[in-house]
Amino acid sequence: MARVNLEGVTKRYGDVTAVDDMNLDIEHGEFITLVGPSGCGKSTTMETIAGLTKPTGGTVTIGDLDVTTLPPKDRGIAMVFQNIALFPHMDVYDNISFGLRLRNYSKEEIDRRVEDAADKVQLVGMLDRMPDEMSGGQRQRVAIARAIVREPDVFLMDEPLANLDAKLRVHMRTVLQRLHKEMDTTIIYVTHDQAEAMTMSDRIAVIDAGELQQIAPPLTCYNEPANLFVAGFIGSPSMNTLAGEVTDTGWVSQNGNIQIDFDPAELGLSPGDRPTMGVRPEDVYTSEKADTVTHPTQSLPATTDVLEPMGDEIFVYLLTDDIGAEKMALSEAEQENQLLMSVSPDSTIEEDQRVDVVLDRSKIHFFDAKSGEAIAHGIEDLAGVESASTAEAEGDD
Amino acid sequence: MAGEPESGRPDDTGELTRGPFERWVAKSIKNPERAYRAMFYVVTIFFLFTTLFPFYWLLALAVTPEDALYEVGLLPAGFDPTVFVDVFTKIPFHVYMFNSIVLAVTTTAIVLVLASLAGYVFGRLDFPGKSVLMLAILAISYFPPAAFFLPLWQLFNGNVITGLELYNTPGAMILPFSSLFMPLSIFILTTFFGQIPDGLEDAARVEGTTRLGALFRVIMPLSAPGVATAGVLTFIAVYNEFFFSYLMNNGEPSNWAPIVAGILQLQRAGQFQITYSVMAAGSIIAVLPVAILVVIAQEKIVSGLTAGALKE
Repeated sequence: MARVNLEGVTKRYGDVTAVDDMNLDIEHGEFITLVGPSGCGKSTTMETIAGLTKPTGGTVTIGDLDVTTLPPKDRGIAMVFQNIALFPHMDVYDNISFGLRLRNYSKEEIDRRVEDAADKVQLVGMLDRMPDEMSGGQRQRVAIARAIVREPDVFLMDEPLANLDAKLRVHMRTVLQRLHKEMDTTIIYVTHDQAEAMTMSDRIAVIDAGELQQIAPPLTCYNEPANLFVAGFIGSPSMNTLAGEVTDTGWVSQNGNIQIDFDPAELGLSPGDRPTMGVRPEDVYTSEKADTVTHPTQSLPATTDVLEPMGDEIFVYLLTDDIGAEKMALSEAEQENQLLMSVSPDSTIEEDQRVDVVLDRSKIHFFDAKSGEAIAHGIEDLAGVESASTAEAEGDD
Repeated sequence: MAGEPESGRPDDTGELTRGPFERWVAKSIKNPERAYRAMFYVVTIFFLFTTLFPFYWLLALAVTPEDALYEVGLLPAGFDPTVFVDVFTKIPFHVYMFNSIVLAVTTTAIVLVLASLAGYVFGRLDFPGKSVLMLAILAISYFPPAAFFLPLWQLFNGNVITGLELYNTPGAMILPFSSLFMPLSIFILTTFFGQIPDGLEDAARVEGTTRLGALFRVIMPLSAPGVATAGVLTFIAVYNEFFFSYLMNNGEPSNWAPIVAGILQLQRAGQFQITYSVMAAGSIIAVLPVAILVVIAQEKIVSGLTAGALKE
């Protein structure tokens, strides 16, 4: 059994805190992804698990063993590196068997395991090649074989696919998932690519500025982001976020053009509070599609700005301000009132067109504007039904 | 036509009467490659002459029979190669050579092991005071060896620590050699080790080596040109060393006297006269091990020196 436990792990480099009080509890057999922007501390976190970096504070436990001060070789881990890190002076066989030879396995055992690992990553027949004679994808498979051949308790993967081209990356994603299924080991995976995080993991740990923001299954992170950072980081394109103010009857955007009716008291909000509203592009609909939405908001006026046809969908940038469609350069404040909507590719929507849109009430999020913490995910059950007028909503109060 | 003031050559009859040198110059102006090639040959021949002539002269001296030495000019006066055998029969020159090689190999081994560790520390780790310490080590190589001689002489003769007598043993030479030639190797290896990507060392450590294991299994093999350069330079420096080699023993082959003492011994190989032929033969033989080493390791040394040069 190889649970991995980080308790209060902190790493400082001089004045810079790379990892701040990280607490992670990773179950045996779990595929967990540490995801975050560059320099957020996810690689440092992984290095403390690997033992390549000693934490300034906190403990790391693998299985039942406190490994905080153990060197990497005694931790029962294997690692795949971003820059692949094959030993250039050894052929593939020697690279894969490096760890086994250090542990004095018998020749037959080494042969058997190397063949087995090579078979798993489709490297059969390439064992006598040198790393510089191989393509990027082959090298990465050698690196993975080198890691699996020792049958470690925990696999660490530090952006293993970052240096591969897009097509190969997608292919290797499935290879890794298949390996995880076959091998029943814990995998800790670091990436800045939220698509990799979403598709492969059992749980995602979103990290920013050295702090853990949320650890949850991918869809939970997507549907119920713990705070504004997670909301913005998970999902592509990002969630729309609009600043606004709570009124007696719900929430209204800064420019007054987007109104959402609900009873603020049920969310613990009071009029005058200024929470940020968030809604994903796919939860914004044109008002003709309002009947397909179970809980639509009232329709909101907007102007289409730019269209981005992606093939399978079209991203529509909506301006919610009452500004002329000819206005091209948006100031900072105007961008904040911009709304991104995704529509199906057969839509006839055009640029610079007035449209009415509705939002899916069950997919509306509110965040505390200051702390960024989530206040609510979905307000479909809340008072202030979509058809209700402002007066009725007030009356309900 | 005659008497053009700007030409300065009033009797010149014109372009058609150029001599061969002038024609060569004219061609070279049209085609500068010719001039460069000519310069290249001039410089190369000059360089080869200055480096190789001493060896030729030694050879000419060596093969000239003893009694014809007064006739020797640029060409040997006679041919008597038996002198190369005399070198070994008149004195135990092979023992001197053996001593030299043992001293050089031992020093090289010590220097490589210690300089690798130091190179790892300076090239791959960060710690306060690193550059000061590095400078201090380099400063050792700026000291004249003579400055160390008297204190070491006292030490090795048991005048400082009673019972510690290293005079006439290899230790009396290997210790000063190692410390004096170490800084250069540390510098070379620091440069090389610093260039090995961190990922490779991390990979080795995760795979199951210690830091030391990663140094010897991954970092050093990948720095092979640097290690070879440091090793060969140290070997040559020790093999060529005169000062401690001459002073830290009494010149007896049984007391680990190296080739220096051997060649001086050859001076007295004859009964009553100075035996130039045998000395010359001995000198040529003494050069051979280093010449062979350089030829073998040449490729690595060149790539090692230039790789280091590019980085620094």
